[in-house]
Amino acid sequence: MVALKFVPFALKQIARRPTRTLLTICGVATAMFLFCAIQSMQQGMKDAAEANAAETTLIVYRENRFCPFTSKLPERYDGRIAAVPGVKSVLPMKIVVSNCRASLDVITFRGVPSDMFVKQAQSQFRILEGSIDDWNRRSDAALIGATMATRRKLKVGDRFDANGVVSIVAAIADSDEAQDKNTAYVHLDFLQRAAAIKSLGIVTEFIVKVNDPKDMESVARKIDAEFAHDTEPTQTRSEKAFVARAAGDLIELVGFTRWLGLGCVFAVLALVANTVVMSVQDRVREHAVLQTLGFTGFLIARLIVLEGAIVSLAGGIVGAGLAVLALRWGGVSLSTEGVNINFSASPQILLTGLLVSLTLGIVAGLVPAWQASRSDIVESFRSV
Amino acid sequence: MSYIECRKLTRAFHKGDTVIKPLRDLDLDIEEGMFLALMGPSGSGKTTLLNLLAGIDTATSGSLKIGGIELTSMPRSRLASWRADTIGYIFQLYNLVPVLTAYENVELPLLLHNYSKKERHAKVSLALDLVGLADRYDHYPRQLSGGQEQRVAIARAIVGDPKIIVADEPTGDLDAAAAAATMAMLKRLNIEFKKTMIMVTHDPKTAAVAQKTLHLEKGQLIENNA
Ligand SMILES: Nc1ncnc2c1ncn2[C@@H]1O[C@H](COP(=O)(O)OP(=O)(O)O)[C@@H](O)[C@H]1O
Ligand SMILES: [Mg+2]
Repeated sequence: MVALKFVPFALKQIARRPTRTLLTICGVATAMFLFCAIQSMQQGMKDAAEANAAETTLIVYRENRFCPFTSKLPERYDGRIAAVPGVKSVLPMKIVVSNCRASLDVITFRGVPSDMFVKQAQSQFRILEGSIDDWNRRSDAALIGATMATRRKLKVGDRFDANGVVSIVAAIADSDEAQDKNTAYVHLDFLQRAAAIKSLGIVTEFIVKVNDPKDMESVARKIDAEFAHDTEPTQTRSEKAFVARAAGDLIELVGFTRWLGLGCVFAVLALVANTVVMSVQDRVREHAVLQTLGFTGFLIARLIVLEGAIVSLAGGIVGAGLAVLALRWGGVSLSTEGVNINFSASPQILLTGLLVSLTLGIVAGLVPAWQASRSDIVESFRSV
Repeated sequence: MSYIECRKLTRAFHKGDTVIKPLRDLDLDIEEGMFLALMGPSGSGKTTLLNLLAGIDTATSGSLKIGGIELTSMPRSRLASWRADTIGYIFQLYNLVPVLTAYENVELPLLLHNYSKKERHAKVSLALDLVGLADRYDHYPRQLSGGQEQRVAIARAIVGDPKIIVADEPTGDLDAAAAAATMAMLKRLNIEFKKTMIMVTHDPKTAAVAQKTLHLEKGQLIENNA
């Protein structure tokens, strides 16, 4: 777009008004920090909503209950669920969360039958520290998600206490499933005993895998029919529908932040455009001199756009960089009704931030650049 | 055919309902290698004529040919590259870029051509040596005296080796000594480097350096003791 030999010239022009440039970069950085935080939240929401296994996974919950605190189902239902035609596997799970409402710092415990968990753990997790064997040996062992480990600064061997459940970290693992990143997996009987309200033989939900995705609906109806006349009737939904319902309020909230993101975009545009316009106004005479030397209007326009782009990208690097660092370091996640939305801090967020700031910088410079390129040399000399 | 040929050259500006004509039907021939001084009262159209010759302004009517090329009908972008190749412009108030060093100011016109960094360095050094500023490469305009600034401006005007150098009151803002030095330099560029030189001045002593002096009044040449 502009030959490399002109870049030092553009940089010198940018450095001409250091205070103005610095303030603009700070403003852009602030807006891009926010923008990236919002992007990361949006991405986290998407990840949660598009849970990998959703296609063949059903969640069986207590009818008319929406929080892990209140959904109580007998563990022995598992045999009857497994007997329903089309069901491939059943995993009883007890869930204990420290907070059922929307919160930024929720610890989620999932109690699972030891042997079943060990069987599926190999394919579900990438173990970063510790081992599944260690987990299996200790009755109070926990396998915790990487995001949770970062946020709580936990290492293998650490003891941690949440909601009165005291367990030992036996393994730290990463997983493709959004929910696993912020969860502590413990032995089912341990959690049943440890929970504030003793509840041996009681679980929160059953995770049911179906043989054929086409059967999801019918299998769900058959399961609910099976327990319709028991004291604890069930409500069975696809995992996708379950997450969508539980996180509905959050999704709405996070969806709203789109507008904040758009606001950031406009803030950056206005900031950079303002800076570029002022610097162009300062340099009417100088641009006339450059044109006299033989610079074309088009070249001058490109140099102006380059200046705006550099300033904006500098702000983007600072803002997006800090945002991703902060999100990485903080391991932030939003949770509600036992469903986690993990803020993504992927390189993609950083890349998006940089690209957006660069694009906005270019766009912001277009109009002043176009005006400068059309200015009349003699008029410019006479006007200043 | 002369190197520079003006025929019925007219420049008009429209200000609301009134029309100002700083140049009217001007006929002028300038030979290649000539050192021409333009004199005349303030507002007589000297700068307007110079700007047309330098290709930074376009005539309203008439014809202006330089080296056989008609300028009046040339599109903006072609005119810009024509200037880069043909014209060196020296201003009364130097017009250096304040954020660039003397070296970088002189280098500016060379950035428009495909020279390597090394080639640019050679040309800039030559130009700065020629104006006697070999020891001021890294000085910014604000660190230079008026006379030195004008010498950097002269170096910038000649670095691209243009055929024509135009100067609008180049000594108008300088003290006597600096003015004399500047004029000596312009004379040398004319004699030694065969540059066609067109200079506007108020000062008869300055004009005396030129081969020929023309007088403008109300946008027209007045024939007299040339
Ligand atoms: N761009 C312009 N718009 C309007 N009037 C102009 C413009 N340029 C020059 N003039 C007028 O034309 C006349 C000649 O100007 P100029 O060539 O600058 O005179 P000189 O250089 O001889 O002092 C002046 O009256 C000036 O006001
Ligand atoms: Mg003048």
